[in-house]
Amino acid sequence: MEDDHADDAAGAGSRHVGSLGRIVLGVLVAAAIISGALGFFPAFRREDPHFAAEGFGAFFAVYGFLAFMFIVLVGQHLRKLVGRKETYYDERE
Amino acid sequence: MTSASELISALAMNPAVILIVGASLGALIPNGYAAMRRPLMLVFVGVAAMQLYRLGLGEYGRLGFFGEPAMLLRIDPLARLFAIAFLIAAALNLVYGWRLRDRMEDFATLAYPAAALGGVLAGDLVTLFVWWEIAAVASVFLIWAPGSRAGFLAGMRYLTIQIFSGVLLLAGIVLVYRETGSLAFGDIGLRDEAGAIKASGLLMLLAFGIKAAFPLLHNWVQDAYPKASFAGTIVLSVFTTKLAVASLARAFPGTGELIFIGAVMTIFPIFFALIENDLKKVLCYSINNQVGFMVIGIGFGTAASINGAVGYAFSNIIFESLLFMAVGAAAFRTGTSKATELGGLYRTMPLTMIFCLVGALSISAFPGFAGFATKGLLIDAAGEAHAFWIWLIMLFASAGVLEHAGIKIPYFTFFAHDSGKKPKEAPPEMLLAMGVSAALCIGIGVHPAPLYALTPYPAALADYHPYAPYHVVEQLQLLLWAVLAFAVLILVKWYPAEVPSTNLDTDWFFRVPGRGVLSWATAATRAVWNLSWRLFSERLLGAIGRIYSVHGPEGALARSWPTGYMALATAIVLGVALIIAFSA
Repeated sequence: MEDDHADDAAGAGSRHVGSLGRIVLGVLVAAAIISGALGFFPAFRREDPHFAAEGFGAFFAVYGFLAFMFIVLVGQHLRKLVGRKETYYDERE
Repeated sequence: MTSASELISALAMNPAVILIVGASLGALIPNGYAAMRRPLMLVFVGVAAMQLYRLGLGEYGRLGFFGEPAMLLRIDPLARLFAIAFLIAAALNLVYGWRLRDRMEDFATLAYPAAALGGVLAGDLVTLFVWWEIAAVASVFLIWAPGSRAGFLAGMRYLTIQIFSGVLLLAGIVLVYRETGSLAFGDIGLRDEAGAIKASGLLMLLAFGIKAAFPLLHNWVQDAYPKASFAGTIVLSVFTTKLAVASLARAFPGTGELIFIGAVMTIFPIFFALIENDLKKVLCYSINNQVGFMVIGIGFGTAASINGAVGYAFSNIIFESLLFMAVGAAAFRTGTSKATELGGLYRTMPLTMIFCLVGALSISAFPGFAGFATKGLLIDAAGEAHAFWIWLIMLFASAGVLEHAGIKIPYFTFFAHDSGKKPKEAPPEMLLAMGVSAALCIGIGVHPAPLYALTPYPAALADYHPYAPYHVVEQLQLLLWAVLAFAVLILVKWYPAEVPSTNLDTDWFFRVPGRGVLSWATAATRAVWNLSWRLFSERLLGAIGRIYSVHGPEGALARSWPTGYMALATAIVLGVALIIAFSA
């Protein structure tokens, strides 16, 4: 398979992170940090957690970050197993 | 036995039948006045909605067929919730495709939702079966509408699978009747009182599972839906899987197996969606993932989790449609839905982009949007059941939803690389349909109380507060840090590029080896037939000639017999019959 857009998605970062992009990124980072920090305040914690993991204030932040990383970094290798050229079925039907 | 007038009366009051009449009348409008079709159909959707409201909760259309009671129409809270969602979706779909002038597609755009509506309102299993099959047949016309060979083949595969689901359902109904002596559509369950799996329950579960696109039974969605027109795909995305969810919620609440089936459903589509280039197919995988959450809720079977499942189905119908509409609008303007050929459309399609973002935020369950109001119920159900691994899987799958539906869809359609395409903004009717959908997404998210009141067990939600501080913080942590992970991957250039490709899925089994086996079987049958003909044709033709000589026009048995012979023969037959009767 030809990789037509080898740097499209990845390279988009450098191209589109202009001034507006930096602002959006800054807001995202700030919001993420605030949400992570809030988890350590009792007022923002579940009174009766179902699992011990919820006792860690930033559990959902860490889990969300790692889960996303895992999905993207591991999931992309599925393409090697099931990826075929675009006309695969056209040639067989 | 029901009289014709009772039958007509029972049918006339059914909102689903009203839609079928609307679809049929619309299809009768000559092509010269095709612009009148959708307005007329929209009027019928309004009439059906008014009828649903006028009737209120209750059981209607009680009839008797061959000594068995039938209930054509049952409006209980479960059915009402889906009926409202289906009517909203039907109206929005008609508006979205306002400028379509295809008689077959126009008809299917309303007849198919009508069948799904009839299914959720069915009070007995035979009525369910009838609507089940009408839905299968009506929907395939949406796949065939574009007229391509690929669409025709996909439609045939789709129809085969859907009809097979109907056959399983019919077999299950027969066994349920044999076991219970009733055709009522209620809680069937997978196991009997001794804990053994019932054949009736298994058949019904498989029938529902095919339509719900259970794992390994799922790929008809990705195979068929993207082949429909820009508007047809949206219609298809709503009804079949949600009819199955409604049926599962009625027949299999608390069936533990569904928890594990649903968990698999939430996970595997995430990875296929990640590597898929066609954004319509990405959304089809999203359907699998989303239905998985609902199936888990049904599996837990508590009042709150059932509320969560059906409430999430209601919201999902709105926001999943909205995403399909946005991608459909981009495809309508650019002629493609492939990520490698899209990008940068935010400049010329800003409103579509905004609506798409609302859909993305909703499906990701950001606070303030539709998904958030009900998804928490489902995840909390796993917590309440202390099902730790299921709980982790649901959180993991939530991050996956964000990746493929929350980020990938809007990012690769409207941002990412500049495709160089400068299409016009979507037509007004598409913007209207998307705008209403987006408003509903925000409305449900900000003020979910009316949706909660419509759920089957509203009392179970009396103490549920989706905007409790801990709930908001948990969700924001999960989602914002996942978005942060996306930003990091983009900045370090580790996010995989989209690649034009076909990804093999379970349809490969029947499209490649299955096709080979079928071809071989056809050739083998032909060879056996030819051989048999050569071997036996002379004897067969001889036998035919002898039979003809006796029974033909000139044969002995063709002669007229004298009355005396006939009287004698009749007396002999009568005598034999008397002897048998007395000796028996």
